Amino acid sequence: MNTYKLNINNKEVEVEAVPDMPLLWILRDHLELTGTKFGCGAGVCGACTVLINNEAVRSCLMKVSACINKKIISIEGLSENGTHPVQVAWNEENVPQCGYCQSGQIMAVVGLLNANKQPTEEEINETMNQIYCRCGTYHRIKKAINNAISSINK
Amino acid sequence: MLGFLLPGLPATGQNLPGCEFFQPNVYLRIDKKGLVTIFVARQEMGQGVNTSLPMIVAEELDADWKDVKVEIAEHGTFPLAKAIFGESPHDTGGSQSIPGSWNELRKAGAAAKAMLIEAAANQWGIKPSQCAADKGAVVNTVNMAVLTYGELVCRAAELPVPKEVTLKSVKDFKIIGKEPKKSNQKDIITGKTKFGIDIKIPGMVYASVERCPVMGGTLISFDDSESKKIPGFIKTVKYEGTGSPMNVYPGVAVIATSTWAAMQARKLLKIKWNEGAKNKESTVALFKSFAEKSKAKPAVSVFKKETKPGFKLTPSNSYTATYSGPLLAHAAIEPVNCIAEVNGDKCEIWGGFQLPDWALNTISQDCGFKKENIKINLSLIGGGFGRRLRCDFAIEAVKIARQIDKPVQLVWSRPDDMKFEAYRPANYHRLKAGWDTKGNIIEWHHHVLSTPIATVTWPGSKNVNENGGGADSEFWYDIPNVYTGYTAVEININRSWVRGVENAQNVFAMESFIDEVAGKLKKDPLQFRLQLLEGKQPVTINGMYKEPQRVADVLKLAAEKIGWNQSRKKNHFMGVATHSYLGTKAYAAHAVEIELIGAKKFRIKKIVAAIDCGLIINPDGMRNQMEGGIAFGLGQVLKNEITVINSRVQENQLDDYELLTYAEMPDVEIHHIKSEADPGGVGEVGVATVGPALCNALAAAGYRPRTQPIKKEGYKWVV
Repeated sequence: MNTYKLNINNKEVEVEAVPDMPLLWILRDHLELTGTKFGCGAGVCGACTVLINNEAVRSCLMKVSACINKKIISIEGLSENGTHPVQVAWNEENVPQCGYCQSGQIMAVVGLLNANKQPTEEEINETMNQIYCRCGTYHRIKKAINNAISSINK
Repeated sequence: MLGFLLPGLPATGQNLPGCEFFQPNVYLRIDKKGLVTIFVARQEMGQGVNTSLPMIVAEELDADWKDVKVEIAEHGTFPLAKAIFGESPHDTGGSQSIPGSWNELRKAGAAAKAMLIEAAANQWGIKPSQCAADKGAVVNTVNMAVLTYGELVCRAAELPVPKEVTLKSVKDFKIIGKEPKKSNQKDIITGKTKFGIDIKIPGMVYASVERCPVMGGTLISFDDSESKKIPGFIKTVKYEGTGSPMNVYPGVAVIATSTWAAMQARKLLKIKWNEGAKNKESTVALFKSFAEKSKAKPAVSVFKKETKPGFKLTPSNSYTATYSGPLLAHAAIEPVNCIAEVNGDKCEIWGGFQLPDWALNTISQDCGFKKENIKINLSLIGGGFGRRLRCDFAIEAVKIARQIDKPVQLVWSRPDDMKFEAYRPANYHRLKAGWDTKGNIIEWHHHVLSTPIATVTWPGSKNVNENGGGADSEFWYDIPNVYTGYTAVEININRSWVRGVENAQNVFAMESFIDEVAGKLKKDPLQFRLQLLEGKQPVTINGMYKEPQRVADVLKLAAEKIGWNQSRKKNHFMGVATHSYLGTKAYAAHAVEIELIGAKKFRIKKIVAAIDCGLIINPDGMRNQMEGGIAFGLGQVLKNEITVINSRVQENQLDDYELLTYAEMPDVEIHHIKSEADPGGVGEVGVATVGPALCNALAAAGYRPRTQPIKKEGYKWVV
């Protein structure tokens, strides 16, 4: 077990963990930040997506030892109160059904738009094809993404 | 049981110091600030009951929706009054939440309003008939004075609950029919929602289970010497499986200080299993068996209607076709999980359960706790689709918890969730139709074969029928002779209800076949169906009521909106399908337009859904369910499949089980029939007709799919 100093949601925290422990479980079990979800543990479903240095990363595959000196933002730290343009778009389009995958969906879109404010449809598809929703909110996710793109490019 | 009342007794609140709130029944509580807390017994799993059901209460209460707060009702607080589904008002499934709760919720809101009005009338010294309620306040229609519900709480709490109430007319509805945002939408978007998997109990530990790979096997021995080396390891425990109804597999569980440590340590277990005799079964062999057995007479007759006895089928006046569907997983994104804590003879669990009372009874039966010593704490569910009807994962958690003196959370890994659950039955269909010399369809035979739910859940079940995953009495076409039969075929794999149940499984065959018969008779598939539906009387078959006219109306609406009667664009083809959904007072049809871009290669241009579910509580919620139903149904027809080799499920992840992806979701339109009929349930009616409508479009293009998922027949699609 090692001690790791991590920067999570603009706060410095210290955790004791083995080097291989994925960031997902640091967030969920050590810090009780359960907004980031476990869906598959293999980087397939995207429910665990967080931002590391503004890039979307699958926290279930990110070892804690690789997380030092990085700015980590989880869904809880994305905005004060749901005010990030992607969250606003999500609320306007009434995207969620059960809501379980939605943190990951939102963080993935934020990461995409952080990298590219005007992605093409193909670029959006490439990112979003790797995040699953079983309730089938894809139709509304598409609208929310387009809505968010308009909003951030005003 | 705080706050629980029987009708007729005075409301609580009156005897509390300072009178804190008014709670005339289990459904709602109003505090002195006017906050209206509405308790929802049905389980929220994305279908929106946490919004639609409170809307019904709030409507009759004449609350201001902005004053409403929604809470999950604690298990056991709702009276065990007769519910349409199962035995408990918490039971959630079968699309019954709205139709089953409609009347009781209206009465609950109306009773509370009547008491608030009476309280105001008493305060003003006027008659209740001289008062009006609106947006959380009572108005004195004589002098226009206003008293808010918050101000009336203490007076209302002193009044007896009325036995008779007056309900509003539909035309006076102010909340029902509107589209308030989902009551926990903000929480979802900001990551605050707590699903079962998110619950934290002080002192809790975590477990991961390695199960016998074959159902019905037993443990011989295990070696956890490597597991012990994982930091955080606490101990290894083993437990025996159970028989029906849950068929829990025997397991070896590692308990550790974190979910991940438990999962890592479990991977290092070395275990010897006795797999039992039924460890060589496969879905390939199963479907061969289906095909063979389908040629024989059905083992059981399910439904028979014979108004033209003696009608003869010959090779020239009849047609036979077969179709099939695979085992299907639920694959909710939240893998199943449960926290359990055992203290002596008491047991407490936390998690998401669609049938909490079945869970309580089964835990009592399988784990030996007295029912009154079992407490269930209900949480939000990250995707149900029928998975959480069963409590197998809770039984496992309890068996583990009895072997440690801490609360322990069992979380299934994704491969566990994919491999060890109970699947939508594999199914096969042989249909035959015959027609007279004028080209009228006279006779319809449907032999349904499947791996039934009933025999594995309640062994000894005979004549497996509705909701056993067997045959289905849903049939809406007015054909003179109809014969439905069923044959059960076994496989050593667990089966259960998946969204759409046997209705969806059978509609694929029925709506594909009617289309094929129309083709044989050179009739337009839309007109051919309509002539068998329009103007036909409502019919009840094996207890299931349906109205053929409503089946026709949704079909016409879908066809109209896709442009069925317009000329087709080059290489564009359309297909339709329609149905009535089992006991839900709901009907739906889909129309699909595809562009053919090669042999068996297509692009879906548009899918139109048309629904009749009577009065719609929340139109946005309805649309969300129908959009989701398209995604669910499309994934099924295109690519979802569970395969079995040596009695083991082969799939592991959400990409080899192949869920529908974002880009594969086509343009969709949802249309509805405007109706004031009693509200129906929308959770499942949006699934069944997606697949056959697509296949009928492909048939129009010259290709008739018979095997689901159709990728097995070489179909390819592009976005």
